[in-house]
Amino acid sequence: MNIEIHEALTQIKQKGLYTLKKWLSVLLLVSLTASLLAACGSAKSETAGGAEGSEGKSGSKKVVAWAWDPSFNGAALKIAEELYKKDHPDFQLEVVDMAKTDLEQKLNTNLAAGVKDGLPDIILVNDPNIQKYVTAYPNTFADFTDKVDYSQFSPYKVDALRIDDKIYGVPFDIGVTGMFYRTDYLEQAGFKAEDLENITWDRYIEIGKEVKEKTGKYMSTINPNDEALTSILLQSGGSWYITPDNKGNFVDNPVMAETLRVYKAISDSGIAKPVTGWSEFVGSFNSGDVATVVSGVWQVASIMDAKDQSGKWGVAPIPRLNVEGAVNASNEGGSSWFVLEGSANKDLAIDFLAKTIGGSSEFYERFLKENGGVGSYIPAFSSEAYGQESEFFGGQAIYKDFTEWSKQVPGISLGTYTQEAKDALKNELPNILNGADLKDSLFNIQRLFEQQVQ
Amino acid sequence: MGSKSTKSTFMGWQFVLLPSAIIVLFSFYPMIQSLILSFQSGKGNVTSFIGLNNYARLFSDPMFKQALFNTLLYLVVQVPIMLFLGLVIAYFLNMPKLRFKGFYRTAIFLPCVTSLVSYAVLFKSIFAVDGILNKMLMSIHLIDGPIAWLMDPVWARVVIIAAITWRWTGYNMIFYLSAMQNIDPSVYEAASIDGASKTRQFFSITVPMLKPIILFTAIISTNGTLQLFDEVVNITNGGPGNATMTISQYIYNLSFVYTPNFGYAATVSYAIVIMVAVLAFFQLKVGGEKK
Repeated sequence: MNIEIHEALTQIKQKGLYTLKKWLSVLLLVSLTASLLAACGSAKSETAGGAEGSEGKSGSKKVVAWAWDPSFNGAALKIAEELYKKDHPDFQLEVVDMAKTDLEQKLNTNLAAGVKDGLPDIILVNDPNIQKYVTAYPNTFADFTDKVDYSQFSPYKVDALRIDDKIYGVPFDIGVTGMFYRTDYLEQAGFKAEDLENITWDRYIEIGKEVKEKTGKYMSTINPNDEALTSILLQSGGSWYITPDNKGNFVDNPVMAETLRVYKAISDSGIAKPVTGWSEFVGSFNSGDVATVVSGVWQVASIMDAKDQSGKWGVAPIPRLNVEGAVNASNEGGSSWFVLEGSANKDLAIDFLAKTIGGSSEFYERFLKENGGVGSYIPAFSSEAYGQESEFFGGQAIYKDFTEWSKQVPGISLGTYTQEAKDALKNELPNILNGADLKDSLFNIQRLFEQQVQ
Repeated sequence: MGSKSTKSTFMGWQFVLLPSAIIVLFSFYPMIQSLILSFQSGKGNVTSFIGLNNYARLFSDPMFKQALFNTLLYLVVQVPIMLFLGLVIAYFLNMPKLRFKGFYRTAIFLPCVTSLVSYAVLFKSIFAVDGILNKMLMSIHLIDGPIAWLMDPVWARVVIIAAITWRWTGYNMIFYLSAMQNIDPSVYEAASIDGASKTRQFFSITVPMLKPIILFTAIISTNGTLQLFDEVVNITNGGPGNATMTISQYIYNLSFVYTPNFGYAATVSYAIVIMVAVLAFFQLKVGGEKK
């Protein structure tokens, strides 16, 4: 028997060793690639990585929260913890800090694998992801409908949390937009603060041309690979990339057509400095290259990083689209706090969030003063903290203005497929900017989107 | 004799058993699981079996076609350039008269030890609109205004290709260099006595002698390029439009950026598996020794 095998092996060695080796190497390569990709595609082999999380579950009253940006979101939880501890001295909170993409990836893999051990009690969710998570992972997130008085929050923020008549989570920070502008550049070009109030985007471009001519500075930046501006424009017209029932919203949508017309006009006018990434974008206003920045209220922190520009900035409402129902207010970004349904400390976590971030004016006042964070809790808007004047912005009470505008932001449904729709648009945007027929382009985008979400 | 042989076979199996079990558990089991997964579709955990529909969807998915086109473009353009460059550099570094060899070898191999993400970020800043490259070109008056490298579909692809070439040429060069050192110098000596030029020697002696190594690096590079991810995500994030998106990035998007559809993502990853297998097979057919 063994001798036979030996003989057979020798034969193989003599005749077809090379072929065998060849096939073995192909097989090895294939299996190697497959296993690598399998880990990537199926997401099953990702470890839970929640050593920090499981610690908190061991019976104690310790609530674990995952959040990104410790100096903003993490700091907010610390304030909330201090407030909650006044009435609940034995309450313990552990904030696990991780990058936003890491957090989202970890949450996705854990939920897909059905592993509940590694997950925290509280998790921060970026608003465009809300519907996606709730529909993709049913019965995973706790229902907050009767736990928080939602009439005290800006309606558009609550709309984002409502799915099938249930409200999931506590509204947190908002990204109400404004047009930050350099008062010195605009003065040089002959414009005063009043000239920037309640203008249209076409007027904005005219002003931009004057500014470019007289000061040599760009009016704004433009990045065709980033959807921030198109998102702001769409929401200011009460529209979005997708309809509330998750269909593409490109064809026969006047707001979309107007948004892309304005976008192309800004790009064509030469008033916008092309940038390719976030650091370049921030660099452009920190180094004084641009006269205006249209962005969310959270941009205040980055603008104030350029200490030498103190007193040279102002904030006006954003320009509006030239369509029916469009307003001079919009939103960019923002997030909310969710509690996991399967969490061992679910009730405690809900109570903690509802009593602090979900219903404490003091929390929002401190959050603004200490971290520059703006929430959507209306009772806090009339507080002293929100009325403070900013020296950096020439004595303007900027937060009062921002909260005033936040009440006008049209409520929209962010839907499930926002990212898919954005990518479909991004695919066609270069053609639009090169002058392709807008109607054809919109049709192409709609078709691409429908392909993507089958 | 027989019993001794049985014993050694048994011993052999014992050695192989544990690694085999681990490979089966961590390699083959996930492979089979993801194959099963590739027949499902849906959002996150709400999935259902849909048979071969995912595979049918591949052929009508413009995003997948775009990613496939981009990836194959990198493969067809970048791999030959890189391998040829690596070969030429290795040839020069192997010349006996060259001074400061150690320095050059280190310098050319050094990119390989940099982290994928950090070098990608560096390339991004070099090719930014007000990046160092534009400043340089403008100061020598080669261009009038800055070029938006990463916003032009063609230039963005050139940047990606330049970046991976910079990163991986040295890696392949090392293989060639070590193989060249195994070529008997007397072969070259005989060739020069026969009057063969240096170029002739390179193409008629060095290249044929290195054939197995060239084949090996070609397969490794093909495999690596088909799985390209870090560079594209960090330099262009797939843009402008989706002009630089690779298949791996598409898989990532399907799983973590879009509404998660792990089933379809698994299907796309199996598409890469099949392509790697087919390409490796052809490369062996073309490049392998005749029987």
